[in-house]
Amino acid sequence: MSTPLIGVSKSILKIKELINHVANTCLNVLITGETGVGKEVVAQSLYAESNRSTKNFVKINCAALPETLLESELYGYEKGAFTGAHRKRPGKFQTADKGVLFLDEIGDMPLALQSKMLHVLQSGEFSPLGSDYEFKTDVWVIAATNHDLEESIYNKTFREDLFYRLNIIKIDIPPLRKRKEDIAPLIEYYFRLYKSEYPDNHGSKPDSDTLAKLCNYPWPGNVRQLQNCIKKQMVLKSWEKIFDELPREHQENIPHIHTDSQHNGTQPFVNHDFANDRSGIISEFVDLSTSSDKLFEDISLKKIKKLASDRVEKEVISFVLEKVGWNRSRAAKILKISYKTLLYKMNEFKVHPPVK
Amino acid sequence: MANPSRLLIVDDNEDILSTFYEFFNSMGYEVKTAVDGFAALKLLRDKSNFFDCLITDLVMPNISGVGLITIVKKEYPHLKIIAMTGYGDQPGALASEAEADVVLFKPIDLFKIENTVTELINQKNDKQEN
Ligand SMILES: Nc1ncnc2c1ncn2[C@@H]1O[C@H](COP(=O)(O)OP(=O)(O)OP(=O)(O)O)[C@@H](O)[C@H]1O
Ligand SMILES: [Mg+2]
Repeated sequence: MSTPLIGVSKSILKIKELINHVANTCLNVLITGETGVGKEVVAQSLYAESNRSTKNFVKINCAALPETLLESELYGYEKGAFTGAHRKRPGKFQTADKGVLFLDEIGDMPLALQSKMLHVLQSGEFSPLGSDYEFKTDVWVIAATNHDLEESIYNKTFREDLFYRLNIIKIDIPPLRKRKEDIAPLIEYYFRLYKSEYPDNHGSKPDSDTLAKLCNYPWPGNVRQLQNCIKKQMVLKSWEKIFDELPREHQENIPHIHTDSQHNGTQPFVNHDFANDRSGIISEFVDLSTSSDKLFEDISLKKIKKLASDRVEKEVISFVLEKVGWNRSRAAKILKISYKTLLYKMNEFKVHPPVK
Repeated sequence: MANPSRLLIVDDNEDILSTFYEFFNSMGYEVKTAVDGFAALKLLRDKSNFFDCLITDLVMPNISGVGLITIVKKEYPHLKIIAMTGYGDQPGALASEAEADVVLFKPIDLFKIENTVTELINQKNDKQEN
């Protein structure tokens, strides 16, 4: 069963009403909002209330896959369409037929695929890689992003025509800090849910003081972050500890919280004593000059790990390729990865042989 | 005057909305307004067959003009639709694709749009008499 859209704020009520009015129109939808606000929950609700709910809900994350893979995932391919295509494989457009295709993180879709997507949405037809046939599609396209697409259009990373085509129904989900009324019902819902999933864990629901503090916290990670706190609380059994672990810059908004830790409050992020080594490395991957509010939103270990390992991988791949005179199968053997993986990586990291 | 024609005007810009409202009101129309496609759709679903003509902006939050036009064409095919846009060609092209009767580009001369409204409503009445 999919997650119900919990909330009593004006904006959530309006979104519910909107969902109710458009669920059977099959018009393209664009869902926007910060990370963790519930874009996927809204997409699922649209689907659940539509007359397509007996068909598939197919999700594809446009940020998670390299371009070539994303393309073949979306449209499928014929046998022999490329090296390694040993048999025909249907794409998401096909699997989602008569149902919903949820294009998550559409703002990260590479430009070339944006053009192709535009064409498919315009014509209602697509063609698998290596196929001469155009197939009619009947999918309801719901897209989501946490990018400001208007800004992406300005920066030329998103096609304006695709934007207008997707933006027929626009559902913008405000961040949790702008709809504090939803915090209590969300806690209530998830508290019960986790309790039923882990009956051995005994947390407590926040008392009214604690709830007030929770409502004053700005929740940069929105509902997902709130969920994590509720889960943690059920293990740590202390809301105080939970507060202590919240990104500290934000705690200033919470009254009576760091009574026991004066040093905990408002340190600037670039501390000049250690500015050299540590922040040197960090600043290669995050912009340390932004306000700490923004910075906390940008820092995610997972993201940084990816950025850092990508950089090293790219260097190593280029290094080996140069050593073996750009012989890719030799390079793949040396690197102990498959030939295909090497090609993906070269493409992803934009590693190209020197032009002769 | 017998039955005044009934207009639904939709724009997320309050100034444009009130200018249009004043103007058409003074020309003897019965006018209702909505701030986006969603508000308009609610009015329409509440009073289907009440309106003669819909004048709508295109780029709006919640339900865009293009979305509104598509829904209206399907659910209330007799309603005449004028789309207007200030955002270059693309929304306009989408509005034509959604079968708006007329697409106009902002800034729009109020008297011109009133002429268009009259023409469309006459077309509609002619058709109904035949
Ligand atoms: N209104 C809500 N009611 C119930 N659960 C919610 C609500 N909003 C978000 N959630 C939960 O919070 C988590 C994050 O939501 P979701 O994955 O939909 O966010 P998102 O906007 O897609 O985030 P991202 O941009 O990171 O992909 C999910 O576990 C979801 O079930
Ligand atoms: Mg998501």
